Amino acid sequence: MIQPQTHLNVADNSGARELMCIRIIGASNQRYAHIGDVIVAVIKEAVPNMPLERSEVIRAVIVRTCKELKRDNGMIIRYDDNAAVVIDQEGNPKGTRVFGAIARELRQLNFTKIVSLAPEVL
Amino acid sequence: MFKAALRCRVLSLEHQPWKRLGLLSGLVRPISSSSSSPLSNENVGLLNLQEVEKVLSDVKADDVRVIPVRSQCAWTDFMVVATGRSTWHVRNIAQALIHKVKQKQKGADRLLLPSVEGQKGGNWIVIDSGPVIIHALDEKARAYYNLESLWTTEMESKGPDEDLKKMFIKTRRVRNG
Repeated sequence: MIQPQTHLNVADNSGARELMCIRIIGASNQRYAHIGDVIVAVIKEAVPNMPLERSEVIRAVIVRTCKELKRDNGMIIRYDDNAAVVIDQEGNPKGTRVFGAIARELRQLNFTKIVSLAPEVL
Repeated sequence: MFKAALRCRVLSLEHQPWKRLGLLSGLVRPISSSSSSPLSNENVGLLNLQEVEKVLSDVKADDVRVIPVRSQCAWTDFMVVATGRSTWHVRNIAQALIHKVKQKQKGADRLLLPSVEGQKGGNWIVIDSGPVIIHALDEKARAYYNLESLWTTEMESKGPDEDLKKMFIKTRRVRNG
């Protein structure tokens, strides 16, 4: 359940460290974003000497949420943090590696690039 | 209406690796050990490795590399990485592969096409056809993302992980003793 003003961790090596959601892309009046949704975010904290800087506006895909993700077979997945991966307008990830476990729903939502960079798929 | 629903369900069970059919496929797959080969043999529409290699050599993709990843990741069997000379060439590689799938399924009631990602940009196109995933990149993107090293060094990084587990067991024994 990511809404505007939510702070998220960054799960890649793009150079951003913390994001704040400012808009959810999709329907015009969507309240919350879940795993696999694209958000517009501001970089709140960045690693020094990297291409991305503080207060830059970027797009990101949510890859982990504290709110549990339910599957039809009864499986429930819940992570300890809210995390996102920075992408550009075309959907290419900005970083070259993704950290941490990622849900396989992302593959069905056409984020195969992110899934193929991830070390573990749940 | 009932009939349609029934047909839909039967279809989605038949073609499990195809994610076009929505979330169901992903949910069924982990149970039936996603990367099982009999499944992919049943599925006539799928591209197999030989066909992919042939198409890639026909369109003159450079530096084709096949990485077997079955042991390392649960969601696919093979990664194929290929380089295109320009964005047009990269797009052509993707088009050729899709054309091959369409040809293969000629006469079928419904086509099951693999999902293609990144067609617009043309720097990195991923064609996800179930157990074989084809990455077509231009030279810059290939050097930047360095997919081969990711999927070949992953194995090495799994080695020390096992060592860690062993160490953990050892310390426990000392404690108990």
